[in-house]
Amino acid sequence: MSTNKKLKGKDLITIGIFSAIYFVINFAFMLMGGIHPVLWMLMPGFIAVFAGIPFMLMVAKVQKLGAVFLMGLITALIYFATGQFTLVILISMASTCILAEVVRAVTKYNSFKGNSIAYVIFSLGMVGSPLPIWLFKADFLAQITEQGMPADYVAAVEALSSNAMLIVLFVAPIIGGIIGAFIARGLFKKHFVKAGIV
Amino acid sequence: MNGAGKKHTLRFDPRTELLLLVLANIVAFTQHSVWVEITWVVFLLLLIVACGCGKSAGKLAIAFGICLALQYYVFPNGPKILASSFTIIVSYARKIFPCLIVGTMVLQKTPVRELMVALRKWHIPQGLIIPLSVTVRYFPALKEETGYIRDAMKLRNIHGVQKIECLLVPTMISATTTAEELSAAAVTRGIENPAPKTSMIEMKFGVQDFLCLAAGLIFCVISIVVS
Repeated sequence: MSTNKKLKGKDLITIGIFSAIYFVINFAFMLMGGIHPVLWMLMPGFIAVFAGIPFMLMVAKVQKLGAVFLMGLITALIYFATGQFTLVILISMASTCILAEVVRAVTKYNSFKGNSIAYVIFSLGMVGSPLPIWLFKADFLAQITEQGMPADYVAAVEALSSNAMLIVLFVAPIIGGIIGAFIARGLFKKHFVKAGIV
Repeated sequence: MNGAGKKHTLRFDPRTELLLLVLANIVAFTQHSVWVEITWVVFLLLLIVACGCGKSAGKLAIAFGICLALQYYVFPNGPKILASSFTIIVSYARKIFPCLIVGTMVLQKTPVRELMVALRKWHIPQGLIIPLSVTVRYFPALKEETGYIRDAMKLRNIHGVQKIECLLVPTMISATTTAEELSAAAVTRGIENPAPKTSMIEMKFGVQDFLCLAAGLIFCVISIVVS
């Protein structure tokens, strides 16, 4: 693209607009997560399947350092500022986005493989949303034991927040991210290349 | 604490609101006592009532009451399946309740413009402020856009999985055009000018800001000490 590798006004606006689309998709699935905790834990995976298109289109348009980082930061900041999530999401998003940026820089910004890997890593950032379940776990369990709940009930809650579920939480976005990247590639070939957008 | 706010609606500096969010987060992670939690929630609710969000404060208060009732009366006595599937979400909702209250205030009482000035005062780089404000302002346009696409889909009788593709692709294409048009306009108006930006909005910390932050800090200390 441009010879200048610094983000310019146009790049910043493109990032802003695609972040809005990413956020809306993200939010739609987040609402679903309110139905049942298991859905919430799988949610980073669901988001990864469907949000590949805005992500891939953005990295194709802005082949510069910082695009992915800004997208993640904006998503986390909006969630944080509306009080829906804790500081954990800011930390997880920022760290995965930095990793994704490294991958993009190494693969020179225009390879499908590199961008897909970056996308998978980026998707892992949403893990920060249900992660407080595990961080608050001791507190939860103490609280419900204190309330005099039967032992089998305590065990059921413990099973939901077990280490196995923690692994599921992390594996879901990896699988979802790969699927999402391929969906995006299919749609690129079918529509966007023809329309001359990428 | 809100003596001044009872007569006319209180206004806070956006920076105070953001700091309050951080404090609310710290309290959420450190407090272990129900009484500290309830006083903190009541304090924040009174605060947003003073700011003129009475209606949402009422709704939030009811929601908080439901959470408490569920945890203390319904779950121990109701069917087990109900308890085991909803405990986590209800407990989480209770934990982040203070953040939600402050978030509601930010959403309802702070225009995007002021938030941007506040961020600029904190020397947040333009590189983050510009895309962030574009994102926030693009939401209404996106809503309108998808409405039209939905109407078009209804006319053509598109169903099932195809719907997702038919919604996403036009949205992406229109987003690309919007991005181009908007950048042309913004560059013409000097978005790339490196000189510091000026603003009509005057922003200053007032007495209420300091009082509010002090109260927040006291709660933080209490929540760390009482455990």
